[in-house]
Amino acid sequence: MAKLLLIEDDAETATELLGDLRGRGYAVDWVATGPEGAARARAEPWDAIILDRMLPGLDGLSLLRDLRGAGDRTPALVLSALGDVDERIRGLRAGGDDYLAKPFVLAELAARIEALLRRPADTRETLLRVGDLEIDLIAGTGRRGARDLDLLPRELKLLEYLMRRPGQVITRALLFEEVWNYRFTPKSNLIDVHLGRLRRKLEAEGEAPLIHNVRGIGFALMPDA
Amino acid sequence: MPDLFRSTGFRWALGIAAWTTVMALTMFAFVYWQTADFMREELAETLRLEVRAAAAQPAAATERVETWIAMDRHATHYAGLFGPDGTRHAGNLVALPAALPRDGDAARVDAVLDLSQGRVDDAIWAAALALPDGGTVVIAHDTDEIDRVRTTTLRALGLGLVPILVLSGLGGLVLAGRARRRLATTEVAVAEVMRGDLGRRLPVGRANDEFDRLAGTVNRMLDEIEHLVHEVQSVGDAVAHDLRTPLTRLRARLERSREQATSVAELHAAIDQGLAWIDQTLAMITAVLRIGEIEHGRRRAGFAPVDLGEVVREAAEFFEPVAEDKAVALALAVDSGLPPVEGDRDLLFEAVSNLIDNAVKFTPAGGTVRVEFAASEAGRAVVVSDTGPGIPEAERAQVFRRFYRAEPARHTPGHGLGLGLVAAIARMHGFSVAADAAPGGGARFTLVCPAGPSRRT
Repeated sequence: MAKLLLIEDDAETATELLGDLRGRGYAVDWVATGPEGAARARAEPWDAIILDRMLPGLDGLSLLRDLRGAGDRTPALVLSALGDVDERIRGLRAGGDDYLAKPFVLAELAARIEALLRRPADTRETLLRVGDLEIDLIAGTGRRGARDLDLLPRELKLLEYLMRRPGQVITRALLFEEVWNYRFTPKSNLIDVHLGRLRRKLEAEGEAPLIHNVRGIGFALMPDA
Repeated sequence: MPDLFRSTGFRWALGIAAWTTVMALTMFAFVYWQTADFMREELAETLRLEVRAAAAQPAAATERVETWIAMDRHATHYAGLFGPDGTRHAGNLVALPAALPRDGDAARVDAVLDLSQGRVDDAIWAAALALPDGGTVVIAHDTDEIDRVRTTTLRALGLGLVPILVLSGLGGLVLAGRARRRLATTEVAVAEVMRGDLGRRLPVGRANDEFDRLAGTVNRMLDEIEHLVHEVQSVGDAVAHDLRTPLTRLRARLERSREQATSVAELHAAIDQGLAWIDQTLAMITAVLRIGEIEHGRRRAGFAPVDLGEVVREAAEFFEPVAEDKAVALALAVDSGLPPVEGDRDLLFEAVSNLIDNAVKFTPAGGTVRVEFAASEAGRAVVVSDTGPGIPEAERAQVFRRFYRAEPARHTPGHGLGLGLVAAIARMHGFSVAADAAPGGGARFTLVCPAGPSRRT
C-alpha cells in the first residue's frame, strides 16, 4: 500500500481528500502546517507528497525547495488555489513533479498521484507491447495481432503514452499536457474524439476492446484479462 | 495673495514681465547709445569742416571766426584765433585750451569763455588747426545741447519703462487669472468625477491650445474609463446571471431527486448531472479569471520565441477529427519558414484553437473552415474563415467583448467568453484581431502579429 503525506491547511479540503484517497486504497497521513509538514516529510519515507501552495508557517514552495535541496526526490504534487498560470511554472521549478489548480476533480488528483507513483521504468524502450498490440516507435508502425495499423504521428504518440502506462487511468487533461504538450483545459469532448478515432483503428470488428473509457475521469489501456 | 505666488500661471507672468523689461532696457540702451553717437559725430564733422575752412584761408581767418560766433544767437558757438605766442587775436575763447591737439579733429575739452555775461568755465567740443604763421584757429561748440538731448532721451526711455512694466505686469496677472479660472473649472469637474459622476467631462475651449488638448485627452481617458467600468459592471451582471442559471437548475434537480428518487441508480444519475452542471459553471469562472489574469499581463514572464505556424498547424490538427465528424472540411495553408513571434506558446495555441473551435461550431455540415498563416504587408497573419452564417456587420466589433454572443450564437452552447479570451491574448501580445466577412459570406477572423517587434513595451 502506497504511503502518502498530505500537507493541506484547509481542514474541509483535507477531509475530502483523505476520504477519497483512503477509499482508493492509499495510506494517507495529514498535517496542516508547513513546519509540521517539513518535519514529517524528513522523518520517514513516503511514496509521494501532496502539498498546498499556501501553508501557514512555511510556504509550500519553500518547503519543497528545502526538501529538494536536502536531496529528497520523493514525488511531489503541488495543489494551489492560485489561478495564475505562472504559478504552475513556479511550482514545477521549486521541484514539484506535477501541479494541480483548485478546484479540481478528485479523480484527476487520484490519476495524477497514480501517474507519479507508477512512472514508466524505462522510457528508452522503442518497441512497446501490450497484449496483442505492438508499436515500433523507430519505424513508426503498429500492429494488432497480424493486422497492420495505419497510425498518424499524433496517434502513435498517444498510443505510446498509453502503452507505457498500461492499466493506469489517464485523465483528459493529462493526455493533453503530455501528448499535445500544451497546458490549458480544452473542451473535454475534443480529446474524446481523438481517442474515439484511435479506438476505431485499434478495435476492428470482433476484436476485444483495448482502450476503456473510465466514466467521468478519462481512459485506460487494458488488454482483455 | 500668497496663493497667487504658488500659481504656475502667475509665476510665468512674472517671468515674462521680467524678461520683457530686460529686453526693453537693452533696446533703450542701444537707441540711446546710437542717438548720442550720431549727434556727437554730426557736430564733430561740422567743427572739422569749419576749422579746416578757417585754416585754409589764414587771411580771412578772423572773419570766419567772427562769422561762426555770430551764426548763433544763443551763445553756443565759440571760436578763437590765437597768435604764435598764444595771444588772442579774435573770438570768444579766452585762451587756447591746453589739452586740445592741433590736428583739426574734434575733442571735448574744458575752456574759459569770454561771454557777454562775463568769463565762464565750461566744457566744449572744439577742433583746432595750426596756421602758416604759427598761430592757431579754434572752432568750438557748446556741449549742453548734446547733453540735453542725452538726458531727454534717457528720461523718455526711463518713463517708457514704467508703462511697459505696468502693462506686462497687468498682462501677466490677466493671463494667470485666466489660467487659474480655467484650472478652477477643470478642478471642479475632476472633483465631480472623483465623487463618482463618471459621465462628467472637463470643459474644452475652442482655441485648441495646450489646455484644450490636455482637457480633450483627459476626456478621452474618462470615456475609456467609463466604458471599462460599464463593461466590468455588465460582466459582473452577466457572470452573476450565467452562474444563477445552472445553480438554479442544480438546486431544483437535487431537491427533486431527494424527494422522488427511489433507487441508488437514480440518485447517481442526479449526482452525475449535478456534477456536469457544476463543471460547466466552474469552466466559466475559470475562463473569466483567466481573461482577467491575461489582461493584467502577468504571464509576460512566459514569453519566448514561438513558431506560430507550427502552433497553427497543431491547433488545426487538434480540431481535424471534430470537423470530420461534423462533415466540415478543414483546409490548412501554413506558410512555413516565417520568423518566430515573441509570445506564450500555450496562450497562442488557445487563441488559435478558440478561433477554429468557433468556426467549426458555426459551419453547417458540408461547409469548409480555412485556416491560413502567411505574411502580409501588416505582418504575419493567422486567418480563420468559415462558410457559416457570418457575423452581422454591426456586431463585428462587439463579438470580442466578454459574454457577448452574436444573434446566430444564441442557441449554440458556450459561455460567450471564447473570443473575449482571444482578444485578451492578442492584446497581451500586441497583436490585433478583427472580424469581417469571408468572401463566401461566412465569418473571417484575422489575428495579425505586427511586422515590428511583437512584444508590447
